[in-house]
Amino acid sequence: MSKLSKKRRQFIIVSLIVPVLLLIAFVVFPAADLIRMSFTNWDGYSPESSFIGIDNYIAMFQNKDLWMSLKNNAVYFIVHLFMIGLELAFAVLLTGKLRGAKFYKTMVFMPYIINGVAISYAFSYFFSPINGAFDAILKTVHLESFIRSWLSDPKIVNYVLSFVSVWRFSGYHVILFMAALQSIPLDIAEAAKVDGANSWQLFRYIQVPSIMLMVDFVLFDNIRGALQVFDIPFVMTSGGPGYASSTFTLYTIKTAFSFSNFGLASTMAVAIMVMIVLIYVIQNYVIHGLVLKDRRRKND
Amino acid sequence: MIKKVITQILKQILCLCMVAVVIAPILLTLFAALKTKGDMAVTSPLSLPGWDRITLENFKKVLSNKYLLIGFKNIGIILVVSLVFNVMFGTITAYIIERFQFRGKKIIVSLFFAGMLIPTFVTEIARFQIIQRMHLYNTLGAPIIIYIASDLMQLYIYRQFISGISVSLDEAALMDGCSYFGLFTRIIFPLLTPATATVCIIKAINIINDMYIPYLYMPKNKLRTLTTFLMDYANAQQGSWQYLAAGIIIVMVPTIVLYVFFQKYILAGVAAGAVKE
Repeated sequence: MSKLSKKRRQFIIVSLIVPVLLLIAFVVFPAADLIRMSFTNWDGYSPESSFIGIDNYIAMFQNKDLWMSLKNNAVYFIVHLFMIGLELAFAVLLTGKLRGAKFYKTMVFMPYIINGVAISYAFSYFFSPINGAFDAILKTVHLESFIRSWLSDPKIVNYVLSFVSVWRFSGYHVILFMAALQSIPLDIAEAAKVDGANSWQLFRYIQVPSIMLMVDFVLFDNIRGALQVFDIPFVMTSGGPGYASSTFTLYTIKTAFSFSNFGLASTMAVAIMVMIVLIYVIQNYVIHGLVLKDRRRKND
Repeated sequence: MIKKVITQILKQILCLCMVAVVIAPILLTLFAALKTKGDMAVTSPLSLPGWDRITLENFKKVLSNKYLLIGFKNIGIILVVSLVFNVMFGTITAYIIERFQFRGKKIIVSLFFAGMLIPTFVTEIARFQIIQRMHLYNTLGAPIIIYIASDLMQLYIYRQFISGISVSLDEAALMDGCSYFGLFTRIIFPLLTPATATVCIIKAINIINDMYIPYLYMPKNKLRTLTTFLMDYANAQQGSWQYLAAGIIIVMVPTIVLYVFFQKYILAGVAAGAVKE
């Protein structure tokens, strides 16, 4: 038996050593290093940097552009939040009896797998002020007065970019909701129907409670996603005009790689990490706990 | 009865609206890609020119760009190497975490788990120097090693799958004198094939579509991927939408083809990755 357990140990060590080392070198160490760098004034290339205490943290909290960028992240969050209802509606629609449901399912998820850079350029074309398709659509329905410079008007640019984000990611949520809906045992719905429940009651009292965990996941996926919005504004507006469409991540990346202030950028990265961990804790121990507790009580 | 027909029609209309929203930006880009420079100026962006004036010149021009071919080649190399290692490390790590109890397991599991909580993009600020110190900057090695080390979604898919495989299989094999490696390579690994298909396709799509890692770590011309090629091309073609449109369509094609053929695996994996309970 001890021979077997020795072999067992060998197997475990040999198998895990490379994956664990890779994880430490490229994921754990960088995260820890961000924290160390956040207390220095490193510029990204000098061999030396000095410890400057919490100066970066003070600078971060005083940086108006950064907090304006965070407000832009909020726009993405709110726009996506409003979409959850529609996403749920489509999930219910596509899991029910519907001719062509398979085709619609394919279409609804397609934006998610399309190259994000390519579609960002496609939308730049769609919203372009010269010969843009969106303006042409408005003209055909005689709404010329609504035409704006979609990507350079600071008042609306974030909503336009959020729309692109919704276009890309809503299908993912529909698919998640569909997976949750399909995992509801059929007999429950059957029983409710026999008892005379209509489709609204079915939705409200059977489907929604059964997929609360998924709603919870999507909700927090929205927060995490909105907090880390980067590539859509990076490609379509590079955060402009000025910082009007900048986001927290975009601003952080710019601080490091464009302004060579790695110390301050690390501080901002630490802030994002803290926010993500906080969100995770809130989700898992507060909301998630409540949902599960509620369910357990019902089962008793 | 009439009420039923009306609801069916309403549902169809709603779905068709969704399809229109999904298709519109792609279709209109395709229209632009099929127009000559002259027609771009005189025709509406919502319509094609007459059939006789449709041109494939824009596609020819993009396809003859040597950096596009380089991009295809590079992304091919990156894909093959990172997928092979991802599957290798992913299967064995998930298997050991799922089936074995050992000292330090908790720490290792929580390390992998913490890896999923670390934000994307901003981590590159610290990772950048590691890549530079390892002399991987401006080589294909940079994206490859990052994709292997940092994207951990495969662990969830594999763990879920392995938990569905009966432990008695392992016990029987060990009783028959099979070594642990033999058990893993000859019995467990083949059983994981459906999960591996899912992992490979989802990862392939993510890697082909990734923008930031190749953009940051491989500024050299010869190291273009499909995505960074398009970014370069967009900067060079400022204003000539018909060429850029052709480039956009070409870069979109590979993942759309993957999606059309392997939709089943993709949808299964996406849902499995989300529900981690």
